[in-house]
Order: sequence, then C-alpha cells, then structure tokens
Amino acid sequence: MLRADNRYSRFVALAKIILPLAALGLLSTLVLFSRSVDHESAIPYAEVDVHELARGQGIGEPTYSTVMGDGSAITVRAATARPNLAKPSQATASGLSARLTAPDGTVVDMSAREGAIDTDTSTVDLRRDVTIVTSTGYTITTDALATRMDRTQVVSPGRIVADGPMGHLEAGRMELTDGSGMAAAGDNGGEAQGGYVLLFQGGVKLVYKPE
Amino acid sequence: QAQVAFGGLKVDSSLPVEVTADSLSVSQSDGTAVFTGNVLVGQGEMRMTAGTIRVEYAQDGSNDIRKMVATGGVTFVNGQEAAEAREAIYTLESGQVVMTGDVILTQGPNAISGERLTVNLNDGTGQMDGRVKTILQTGNR
Repeated sequence: MLRADNRYSRFVALAKIILPLAALGLLSTLVLFSRSVDHESAIPYAEVDVHELARGQGIGEPTYSTVMGDGSAITVRAATARPNLAKPSQATASGLSARLTAPDGTVVDMSAREGAIDTDTSTVDLRRDVTIVTSTGYTITTDALATRMDRTQVVSPGRIVADGPMGHLEAGRMELTDGSGMAAAGDNGGEAQGGYVLLFQGGVKLVYKPE
Repeated sequence: QAQVAFGGLKVDSSLPVEVTADSLSVSQSDGTAVFTGNVLVGQGEMRMTAGTIRVEYAQDGSNDIRKMVATGGVTFVNGQEAAEAREAIYTLESGQVVMTGDVILTQGPNAISGERLTVNLNDGTGQMDGRVKTILQTGNR
C-alpha cells in the first residue's frame, strides 16, 4: 500500500485509529462507572402499619343514606368504619357525620369524632365532641347522641349547650323529633305541628339578650 | 278603672331576659318556643312565674322575641308590687304587660283586684280595669 506522503492522508490514517478508540472509551464509561442504584430508598414505602390494616378489614369513606317513613332523608358518612366481625350489622366508625334533611327543607347536621352504626336496629350513636348544627340557626354541643335511621328521632341523653336565635340555652336532655308524635305543648294544644320539634328537658335555662 | 303607680322601679326592657323551666319545645318550622313546667322569667328586678310561657318571634326574621304569652296562673313581681292573674302577655318592645283573669295587685299593704291590669314597665304606670275593688289599709297601726 503506498506510503502516505502528505499531511492530510497521515492525519486521516491517525484519525482512523484514535477516533474508534475514543468511542470505545466513552462506551465503556457507560458500563464501568455507572452508579449503583440504591434499591432500598428508590421505592417510597407507605408508613401505615401493615399488620394493623391486615388485622381488621376497614372501609374507607363509607356512606350510608336512606329515606325514612316520614319523608326525611338521612345520610351517614364516616372517615373510616370497621365492621364488627361478631355482628356484621354493626360497625364502629371514626370521624362520623350525619345529615338529616326534613321534607320541608330543614337540615340538621351532626358530627362527632367517634361513633357506631347498627343497621339492624337502624341507630347511629355519636360520641366525643358531638356538635349539631341546624339550618334554623341552632348550634348544639353535647357529648353523646343517638340518631335513628328509620324515623326522625335524635336524642342526646346528657347535658347539652345550645346557641340559637333565641339566645344561649342549657338543658339536661334534648330530643329532636318530627313533631307529629306529640301535639305542641302548652295551651295552643294540638295544632298540627309540621316540621321538626326540638324538645329540651331536664331543666332548661335560657339567656336572651334583646338587641 | 283605676290609675295605678306600679312601683317606681322601671324595668329596662333591653336588659337580658333569663327564662328557666322544666322543659322547652321549639318548633323548627315556625320557631315558636313553649316553656312548660314552673317557668320563671327574670329581667332586671322583674320576675314572672307561670305554668307555661309561649314565646313569639318577630316575623321579620330578626329572631327578636316579640312577646311572651304566659298561661296557667301567672304571678308578676316587680320591686314591692306583686300581681297575680290567670294569663299575662308581655310585649318586650313596648315593655307592656297585660294581665287578665281575676287580677289581684298588691302594693305593700294595699290590694286592688279587677279583670284586667295593663302595666307599662318603661314608665312604671299601670291601669286596672273591670270591676275594680280596692282594699286600702287605714293607717291605724
């Protein structure tokens, strides 16, 4: 093969050797120097205790709603609910809230930190920091509350504190019914009571500040 | 008819009203509230007790108590004066109390009875109507 005598051919011959070598070097860095991937921290693990989850089956964000005999509707919602394995119709729930809507549009919102639902006896028990807010402007706080789901009856057996249009009120017991069961108390007698009736008992004390 | 000075003690009808009773039933549809079971209403010096008190609200939705209808035997005490009747209606804005049905008003030793007693708490005047009988103690003590 003729000896290359001019600079350009010598340069090309040299390049034919150096360039492939450089390419080979570059390629090898891909394989030789690659960082070892830390498999441990690559996948974000959920912090939830797996045993806790596996032990009891729970329902996230369950909602139960039904319409009652007298036409009012109730919707019960919870953050989590855990059915009672012994008695499947019962479930304990946390972050419980219930909304009762009357045929005439009055809305009663109840919420509590904890509670239990029993679909056999169709009752909902709310416990710990129970608050009741009605669309007629009443805010009632108590520590325990039982609501029926087949008819309008909300009973708070313990002391309640209520703030409403008529002022600040404390009572020993409270019951909300649809008013058809009993005639309105007092002298105006059995005038048909549509809508809900809030009945406070066990000693009532009201303070009203006229503006 | 007899004009009655019903106690120098006026009652400022803007004072807070306190009502205690055995039970209270509030209808959510029209908001009327009925106190039952030895009901006691207190406002400043004034005390009113009754078997049942029905509270009526202003219809303009401002939820002010417009008037209280007391039934089932009412006693009304304001300072040294006391009045008893079968029924009483206390209108808060005007500060007027109208008592009806065998009204007996006692002012210290004096007593007046009649059918209807109208008292205005703001200026402390009262008016008794209907077969008024007055028993004045002659001061022979």
